[in-house]
Amino acid sequence: MTLLRTIAGEFRKTLTLPSALVALGIALFGTIAVSLLVASSSAGHVAHATPASVVFNTIPLGTVGAVILGVIVISSEYTANTPDAGGGRQISATLVAIPHRLVLLLSKVVVVIVLTVVTAASAIPASLGLAHVILGATDGEENLRDLIARSAGVALYWTLMSLIALAVTVFTRSGIVPLIWFIANSSLVSVSLLLSKLTSLAGYLPDLAGMRLFAAPSSLAVHDPLEPLTGGLVMAAWAIVFLTASMLAFTRRDA
Amino acid sequence: MINTITAELIKVRSLPVALATMGGTLAAAVVLAAAIAASGTTTSPTQVVLQSITYVQVGLILLGVLIIGVDYTGTNMRTALIATPNRRTLLVGKCVAYLLAAAATSAAAIVAGFLTATITLAIRESATETGADTWPVIGAGVYLVLIGLLGLALALLLRSLIPPLVAMLSLVLIISPLLSTLTSYAQYLPDQAGSLLYHRESTAELTSGTGMLVLLAWIVAIGAGAVMEFRSRDA
Repeated sequence: MTLLRTIAGEFRKTLTLPSALVALGIALFGTIAVSLLVASSSAGHVAHATPASVVFNTIPLGTVGAVILGVIVISSEYTANTPDAGGGRQISATLVAIPHRLVLLLSKVVVVIVLTVVTAASAIPASLGLAHVILGATDGEENLRDLIARSAGVALYWTLMSLIALAVTVFTRSGIVPLIWFIANSSLVSVSLLLSKLTSLAGYLPDLAGMRLFAAPSSLAVHDPLEPLTGGLVMAAWAIVFLTASMLAFTRRDA
Repeated sequence: MINTITAELIKVRSLPVALATMGGTLAAAVVLAAAIAASGTTTSPTQVVLQSITYVQVGLILLGVLIIGVDYTGTNMRTALIATPNRRTLLVGKCVAYLLAAAATSAAAIVAGFLTATITLAIRESATETGADTWPVIGAGVYLVLIGLLGLALALLLRSLIPPLVAMLSLVLIISPLLSTLTSYAQYLPDQAGSLLYHRESTAELTSGTGMLVLLAWIVAIGAGAVMEFRSRDA
């Protein structure tokens, strides 16, 4: 019961944070807008452009949104208010209301999962639909099951990245370092990609491991990426390890 | 004026996060140069340094955003304005302090990256091209300072720390690479136009000179809005 009420409270808190709305907006409208742009610019020019090839190449933008959401859910708790308003931090009030720290962190995790999945579930079908309308009937129609599996893969990828970012922010408290790290690493020129040129072990880093959840092998710069299932499991393992560590830290550290 | 610049420099020096940014940029430049050189994609130390700029610019952007941003996280801006009521002087002081800090960071990062690349390439015993072209490297240094200045202008416009940081990073790392594959107008984005300073091949419409002008135009446009706002709004 406490958990349900805490989740409801965290939902309300997150949805009233302007930066959370910006993060969700980037993931939702950014993905749709860039897909529209790519689709309309390649319609007629690029013969082999399919809705899937267009949409699943715009995923990095949504990853940024998901990462921002994961980071600010935690970092907003630790940002000090202006001295005029007492200079307090949200976390003190939060912990007075919900003294059970594990429940608090779990409900934040639930909020992030639900919001990210809902965003992906609206952004990806909408983008695919729009791209389909613009590009018209393309030869080599993708089969529907493949599309659904890859869309689910996007939702999973965004959720896991967001949770990893959340877990790391529990340690750093300030959002600056995790934001820089995760935005830079969601990019098309990610550091992991650079490392993958040095050692094939880099393929097991969370962001590269999960790539095949949605990306076609041909669109990846990585040599020999992990298969979708293995990659998804590796990425999930990273997320679970990070979350477990962050829960240990959160329950034991001073607020 | 000199006093304001000195004061702002002291402020930068006494901010742990600014020092960490400068040190971190230097460390990142060294690690990245070693990694790129070891990956064997190129044998020229100049090329290694130029390839690392994409990542190293994050450090300069953070520095630029921090110089303004930290003042808006607390009541620092009010304290600064009590000490220097002339807003124009304060702003010039901050910009000069940024330029000095950024020029030092950028020069150090590039020199360190170049040395690391040379050493790594020598260890790997790949034929190192010597007599490297210095202009692209100098261009890269200028680009780093300018892209950070854009971050500073944006932070002044948005009066905050995190939003301009996220906006700048998304622009240079996500949006610009995404758009560059789509439309040729993407070359007018600040980072793409500025990157012509160190990428030799000029595009159909821009050369390194006009590319720098485009980047400067972005800085002036955002900076002018920010300065007008800074001079007329309450702190």
